[in-house]
Amino acid sequence: METAQNFAELAKQVVGFIYPNEIEIHWSILIVVYPYITGLVAGAFILASLVKVFNVKELQPTYRLALLTALAFLLIAPLPLQLHLGQPWRSYEIFLTPNLASAMAMFGFVYLWYLMVVLLLEIWFEYRRDMIVWSSESTGLKKWVLKVLSLFSTDISEKAVAFDKKTVKIITIIGIPSAFLLHGYVGFIFGSIKANPWWSSVMMPVVFLFSAIVSGIAIVMFLYMIIIPIQGGKIDMKCLDKVASFLFYAVIVDFSIEVLDFIHRLYESEESIKILSQLVSTKLFMSLVVLQILLGMLLPLGIMVVIRVFRLQEELRKLLYFVCVVLIQMGIFSTRWNVVIGGQLFSKSFRGLTTYKMELTGIEGLLVSLALLIIPFVVLAILIKLLPPWKKEELAGG
Amino acid sequence: MKDFFKKIPEQAVRIIVLFAVLALVLLVVRQFILPLELKDPALQKNSAMEREAAKEVKYAGAQSCGQCHEKEPEMKKSGYHRDLSCESCHGAAQKHVDNPTDVKPTSPKKRDYCSYCHNYNSSRPTGFPQINPDTHNPRKPCITCHNPHNPKPPKTPRSCAACHAEIERTKATSYHALIECTVCHSTPEKHKTSPRTVTPTKPDKREFCGKCHAKGSGGKGMPTVDMATHGEKYVCWQCHYPHMLGGI
Repeated sequence: METAQNFAELAKQVVGFIYPNEIEIHWSILIVVYPYITGLVAGAFILASLVKVFNVKELQPTYRLALLTALAFLLIAPLPLQLHLGQPWRSYEIFLTPNLASAMAMFGFVYLWYLMVVLLLEIWFEYRRDMIVWSSESTGLKKWVLKVLSLFSTDISEKAVAFDKKTVKIITIIGIPSAFLLHGYVGFIFGSIKANPWWSSVMMPVVFLFSAIVSGIAIVMFLYMIIIPIQGGKIDMKCLDKVASFLFYAVIVDFSIEVLDFIHRLYESEESIKILSQLVSTKLFMSLVVLQILLGMLLPLGIMVVIRVFRLQEELRKLLYFVCVVLIQMGIFSTRWNVVIGGQLFSKSFRGLTTYKMELTGIEGLLVSLALLIIPFVVLAILIKLLPPWKKEELAGG
Repeated sequence: MKDFFKKIPEQAVRIIVLFAVLALVLLVVRQFILPLELKDPALQKNSAMEREAAKEVKYAGAQSCGQCHEKEPEMKKSGYHRDLSCESCHGAAQKHVDNPTDVKPTSPKKRDYCSYCHNYNSSRPTGFPQINPDTHNPRKPCITCHNPHNPKPPKTPRSCAACHAEIERTKATSYHALIECTVCHSTPEKHKTSPRTVTPTKPDKREFCGKCHAKGSGGKGMPTVDMATHGEKYVCWQCHYPHMLGGI
């Protein structure tokens, strides 16, 4: 009965002609949350790699935070997929009985590689010495947790620490293409759906990748500006300015690529162009034109230009940076929304549009999605408690 | 060789051992614990078929209906609904087949069921029978005039629609849907044989439309105008196209 009511409500929102199985979209907000979260992982890791591989010294204060952020979000990344598919207890089967011909099934391996070989390994080598020191200083449960986490390693000689540093660098170098693979993969999944002109584009992995870098840098900047004051430290403005300048360039590249994709589609003017322009100007107007492009991209770009041109005061700069990163997060979330939901709103007949009605309380609903977006921050809080990214003197010194 | 192992730092050994253990666990689970049908596609297909076959059957199929109901399938066979299965309208009927007296299938009697296919929609194929539910006998159930087992328009004015099909279809969705062509156009019999030389009339006086649309003469909800001031000397159809939806 409820289904019939839903159907009747949706039917009123349909414009033009659609096929009967297109009235209800199947990839819901959970599938919007998934690429958003993996994007944050890849982007945060790229920021961390700037310190180790490209030797950008100013970014050192964000290095460990970026790694932990990437880990916290990566641990939660498969959850939206598992909730959407149902039966999460079967998920390990993609490792045991792999379907090598399916790009979607390969996510398990991309994920496993990135989690085990890149992120956990890098964090382990980065923190190994500290974990040994901390476990010797603490007592009770914490001592044992740290001991287990360090795999009962004890060697903190200079030689061993030098080996750790070297290994971290090597892993980071492997990590950059892996991060590209992780999020490029998500774009690849959408880009390779031939039947859907909104998705089917070779630009898709690239667009996903650069928007991931933008969102990852922005989330680390956001967390840095919140956590440091909470822990009683002082924000290192040199570091913040440097992160912001990388964010600025990343947004410019991301914007250019998206515009290029847009112009290319317009010039190509395939048979789908009419319905796609109708989609953009009606159903996606708010989320694409207003939220994604104007508020999520052009406004932060404008603010960052103002900050760079007028050399504003420290406090004002902080405030504006904060506004920028919040706007950018909202913009990138809209980007994911527009790709995932937008791609399902038009009929394959190219003659009509359907609509998306989000549930509130169901498993594919708003509340679950909000919970999924909040859990990574809780995980991050635990990780920071266990593996503090900053030493006390670093916090005080700024 | 021993020297080589000694050279590996202690922490690297721990990591290597951890990964080796994980890989070993994966291998053991795959080789020894997983049931065979999870690994062999043929076996998997077999068990899937068994699982599907064990599911409850809900649809009986049109042939089963024909075994008891003779009249309807016979009537339907030559009608426009010949390609529709009985259960498309009457719902899944296996339970009715199993227990014909106690379980009765549904039969949709309201207008909204027929309108799934027959509501006006510009994307439907040309010639497909479509109506505008607001103007086409509002509130009357479709089955009062149309027999769903052999649906036909109650009257088929093929004489006009044979040539003027486009007007016929446009008119079918307009407010004038129920007015026959000959109410407004008086058509000499010869028009059928020499359509270009002998033409039907068009209403040439404003008063003709005024019979329904002049102030005071219209029924409930009918648009009316003051004939003395509205439109001056023009005939109504010079501005309003009477066949169009809404009669603009």
